[in-house]
Amino acid sequence: MSDSHIEHPTPQKYVQIAIVLGVLTAIEIALYYTEDIVGVFTDPLLIFLAVGKFIIVVGWFMHLRYENKTINRFFIGGMILALILFTIVMVERASANYF
Amino acid sequence: MSDSHSYPHEPTGVETRKLGMWVFLSTEILFFGTLITTFMIFKGSDFPGMKLTDVYDIPFTSISSFILLMSSLTMVLAHNALEVNDQEKTRVWLLATAMLGAVFLAGQIYEFTEFYHKGFELSTNIYSSSFYVLTGFHGLHVFIGVVLLLALWGIGQRQKGLTLEGGMNLEFVALYWHFVDIVWIVLFTVVYLI
Repeated sequence: MSDSHIEHPTPQKYVQIAIVLGVLTAIEIALYYTEDIVGVFTDPLLIFLAVGKFIIVVGWFMHLRYENKTINRFFIGGMILALILFTIVMVERASANYF
Repeated sequence: MSDSHSYPHEPTGVETRKLGMWVFLSTEILFFGTLITTFMIFKGSDFPGMKLTDVYDIPFTSISSFILLMSSLTMVLAHNALEVNDQEKTRVWLLATAMLGAVFLAGQIYEFTEFYHKGFELSTNIYSSSFYVLTGFHGLHVFIGVVLLLALWGIGQRQKGLTLEGGMNLEFVALYWHFVDIVWIVLFTVVYLI
């Protein structure tokens, strides 16, 4: 295959990563049930946790952090396009409701 | 494999099949991005009929989410086992992943049935339609993933064993499966928790 072999995490490391993902999911559920206490911070915190889980799975389980830059650009490019689409539609909708 | 190997004979320096898989996943991001955007347009608006918040069951969906999350662990362990050519463990982890995926699917079917009986149907309002289209397409992706995993497991059983070469490659199925998982990470937050 290649000379430039980058070592992947060990199975033990993968289990540790999965435990972190499980804990983050538990925090998400706890946040949902404590919305009255956490208040306006609930939604931003939930989004932050989801983004964290997303990055962990893509980076470590899908090995994107070990991949070639070209592959990274394609995947991140898709993400950026989807976020642009989402932002444009949401801004348009918000402005339509406002006026 | 998933390392940053160099492929000097490829114009991009990356194995073309692998690059193709990542480009496919990139287009899938746009596909689900569009469905999520559509769902978010209708979320929070008042429509006649029942709302999702009246019917959903967070503890149940949380367990389903945890099961799908753990299937990503078994998938990566299958991949890891194949990298060290441990065929037995590869097959065991592949089957475990397929089973966890099947349990998630069964949970989704049960959930949809419950929603339907409570009056939250596909045609209840445009919000319910966008919910079923979004989560239904995710479920379809999980189903395809389970079929691919079982096919791979079957190939491993019938032949001398799996390799990381060839058309039906475990790495590509693993990438697809992890992708299905990350889509659910977003959906669980956007659809159920927020």
